[in-house]
Amino acid sequence: MTNYFDVIIVGSGPAGVSAAFPLVEAGLQVLMVDGGREASLTLSSQSYLSKRFEDEEQWKWVVGESFHALQKMDAVSPKLRVPAHDYVFDDFIAQNKIKAKNFVPVGSLAKGGLSNAWGCGVARLSTDELVDYPFPESEIAKSYETVTRRIGISGANDDDLSDYFGLDAWSQPPISMDLLHQRMFDQYASHKQELASLGFQMGRSRVAALSRNIDERKACDTSGNCLWGCHNKALYSAIDDLPSLMKHKNFFHKSGFIVDRVVKNNEDLAIEGHDAHEYMTFRASKILLAAGTLATTGLALRALKYESSVKLQSCPTAAFLLWQPKMLGAARADSFGLGQLSFSLKLPGDITAFGSTFSTLGIPMSEFIRHMPLSKRYSADLLRQLLSSCLVGNLFLPGNLSTTEVTVNADGEMNILGGYSSNVSGLMSDAAHRLRKSYWKVGALLMPMSFTQGLPGGDIHYSSTLPMQHNPTLGQTDANGELAGLAGVHVVDGACLSALTEKSHTLTIMANADRIGRILAKQIRGIN
Amino acid sequence: MKILITGSSGYIGSQLVKNAIKNHHQIVLASRHPYDDEQQWVYFDLNNASSCTVPESIEAIIHLAADTSGNDKTRRYEIDTAKALISAANEIGANFLFVSSQTAREDAPTSYGRTKWRIEQEVVAANGLVVRLGQVYGGPERGLFGTLTNFVRHLPVLPAFIPSPEVQPIHVDDCAEGFLKLVDHKNMESGVYCLASPEPISFTQFLRSIAISRVRRRKFFVPVPTFLVKLTASLIGKKLSASLGLNRLNSLLDLPLMNTAADLEAIGLKLRPLSAGMHKSGNDRRCRLIQEGTALLAYILKEKPNSALVRRYVRMVEKLRTGAALDIPVWMIRWPIALSLLDDRASSSLWQREEFAWRIDAATIIAEASRQGAARFLGSTKTMWPLAALSRMIVAVISEITWRLLRLVIPSSTLHFSKKKEL
Repeated sequence: MTNYFDVIIVGSGPAGVSAAFPLVEAGLQVLMVDGGREASLTLSSQSYLSKRFEDEEQWKWVVGESFHALQKMDAVSPKLRVPAHDYVFDDFIAQNKIKAKNFVPVGSLAKGGLSNAWGCGVARLSTDELVDYPFPESEIAKSYETVTRRIGISGANDDDLSDYFGLDAWSQPPISMDLLHQRMFDQYASHKQELASLGFQMGRSRVAALSRNIDERKACDTSGNCLWGCHNKALYSAIDDLPSLMKHKNFFHKSGFIVDRVVKNNEDLAIEGHDAHEYMTFRASKILLAAGTLATTGLALRALKYESSVKLQSCPTAAFLLWQPKMLGAARADSFGLGQLSFSLKLPGDITAFGSTFSTLGIPMSEFIRHMPLSKRYSADLLRQLLSSCLVGNLFLPGNLSTTEVTVNADGEMNILGGYSSNVSGLMSDAAHRLRKSYWKVGALLMPMSFTQGLPGGDIHYSSTLPMQHNPTLGQTDANGELAGLAGVHVVDGACLSALTEKSHTLTIMANADRIGRILAKQIRGIN
Repeated sequence: MKILITGSSGYIGSQLVKNAIKNHHQIVLASRHPYDDEQQWVYFDLNNASSCTVPESIEAIIHLAADTSGNDKTRRYEIDTAKALISAANEIGANFLFVSSQTAREDAPTSYGRTKWRIEQEVVAANGLVVRLGQVYGGPERGLFGTLTNFVRHLPVLPAFIPSPEVQPIHVDDCAEGFLKLVDHKNMESGVYCLASPEPISFTQFLRSIAISRVRRRKFFVPVPTFLVKLTASLIGKKLSASLGLNRLNSLLDLPLMNTAADLEAIGLKLRPLSAGMHKSGNDRRCRLIQEGTALLAYILKEKPNSALVRRYVRMVEKLRTGAALDIPVWMIRWPIALSLLDDRASSSLWQREEFAWRIDAATIIAEASRQGAARFLGSTKTMWPLAALSRMIVAVISEITWRLLRLVIPSSTLHFSKKKEL
């Protein structure tokens, strides 16, 4: 391997691989580096329920041999407690020198990045939403299609959210719903009009989980292991894209390499960093930052020596519990563990909320017990009867309601100060009220006291620290993600999104990375 | 500090060396033969006053060496040697601590006791420190403790002497800690310090504790009149009774009671309870943790947890928390359902309360991640009659309310974690 490349991509997550494909396919010499953490727990193909009832050693994957789940007891999300995902989040905060206040910083040094442990929510930005972006919609439309077809998205359904998601033309049919969701969706069909007047619309969730095989990856078999790791690889992870990139002789992958800094001397661009053994430098004519919003922001601001604060858009989030009284006594059965039904909810001030509902099965009951206002013993008694007729839901508001700020000081330390604008709590209680009314119409009771707002950052829905702008100033990027003040360095991950809507943003990050990849491929090919 | 220790290969001496090293002291072993390559060594013979040269860097001398063989002829050498050590200590300005015995008396029945008393006089005259130890137990099965443990282990029945003599136990590691505290303390007043439990217990109780916690076997006790022991000892003659250990037993039978509370306080030494120290590990930490885990898991699971779950709980507390059990009232440990009274997050902000809340969360997670937990938590894979489910929920709520009411009624003092010192 030489140490000079046409393009270096920092990070092998969804953004990194999406930018890589067009560049590699154009024949450019591309080096991709990542932190190299990999899964160590192997996953059995048994269904979740049968494992729980039969596996004597289940504590190893539920709690972890070094008590991972207990060590992370204060973490905000059950996802962060799953032993199999330990490697995804491990050491990120320390390596990136992050200190956070009122914010939950999450990132990854894993091969494939955060997509190893994501909720697979996908959506396409509408024409209106793309107004904030400094490029014509036509530029990204093709990229949405390319990425959607590549990663495999299920949920195509002629329903009230078809336009909202905007992906059905390229998607697979939905994965089958569990009884509770099915019943709720049936009820919705007969109350559509009333609910529309409440601003509530419901449809199948569009998720990056397969209902049809794609190559090595198999369709979801509803074994209920989504949270714990899918043996079918039905859930998209960027790591599954690496083999097809590897087939190209002009693609180089240096795993286990942590970038310390991006340097520019005259016209010469380079990344400096280390693997387990030595300090190394790689040079290139273009550097693409795809290390994840926080890590990329750190690398960019350090390279720019920019010490003022930048804004981080972060979606205000909430979670809630729904109970379907008529389903009390329902049997426990394995089912798809990610979003099954989604909703969009109109709020005052032209704000839209988005959310999905999930089965409670794959989530340990202790996660619910912890939040119950009862003693543990009787919480367990109660939930044992109750949870089989319950669903959990989440809710996202647009990221521009965040007041979170990020600074990188002269020592390279990143400080994050989280916060939401003052109208968020009002919007949240309004949303809770509307959801309670809406769900009641479809036979579900939004459980009192269950609607809980999350800590800023906790749901990993944040972006836009270095937003793409028509006329970028220092700390911003142009339409191609190129950093103002650091020509040749492009930001291609969440950090460069011009705006963060309430919708799941991963697909947009990927499409945008693909778009920038295409443009750069043309540019470099043109120059050569 | 740098400490010279004589008698370091004995029962108490070897534990002292271990403890001193653990506390980052430098050790010089004084003995006839070097036996530990890792430690500095100087030649020392208890019967040869001129044998020992104390290195100048020494800051304290702990003189533990003693002749327990009962050989009266060498007693005066012991006194000369002690004198030589005392003056050596004075010359280099080192603290001097002499380990004496509960039997030390001017008119003691044994020459051992009388010799100890005479050396004590010399030490105090030279401004040194003297320690009289009670019944030392715990740690390796050596010394008198070793002999007694052996008896308990192998004898089919044990004697319960009547009237029972009383002993004042002290754990061997507590002895070591006491010695180190004494010599480490710059301004300790010269004099005789008595180290032992302030409350004497009957010798029978002591043996029973060895049987239960150390040997882990229930033993039968047969009453034996004390005068019979004395009679036998005098009948069979000194030599035979010495080889049978009867003379040691005999001296144990008329020990003077020591007043130790003030001395322990002055040194700042807290002794572990006998029930804790008698365990092989030197404490009952693990035993209590197992009880705690069993209770918490049974509270959550509503049935006896299987032993793998309890082991996991213990390992978890040892790995992630302090490793010590909480002072949960004993009756709740016996009757886990009563933990409902403590399982109330909103209550106090006391450390133990907060820690209890953490541990019960952890116990819930550990309990759930098992087959036993799946059966308890997951509910049925068959559809259930809704009214049946509802009635069970109602029962749960009524139970919750009942315990909440009990929380109000039961005096809060009985619910407090006891203020006992943690091990």
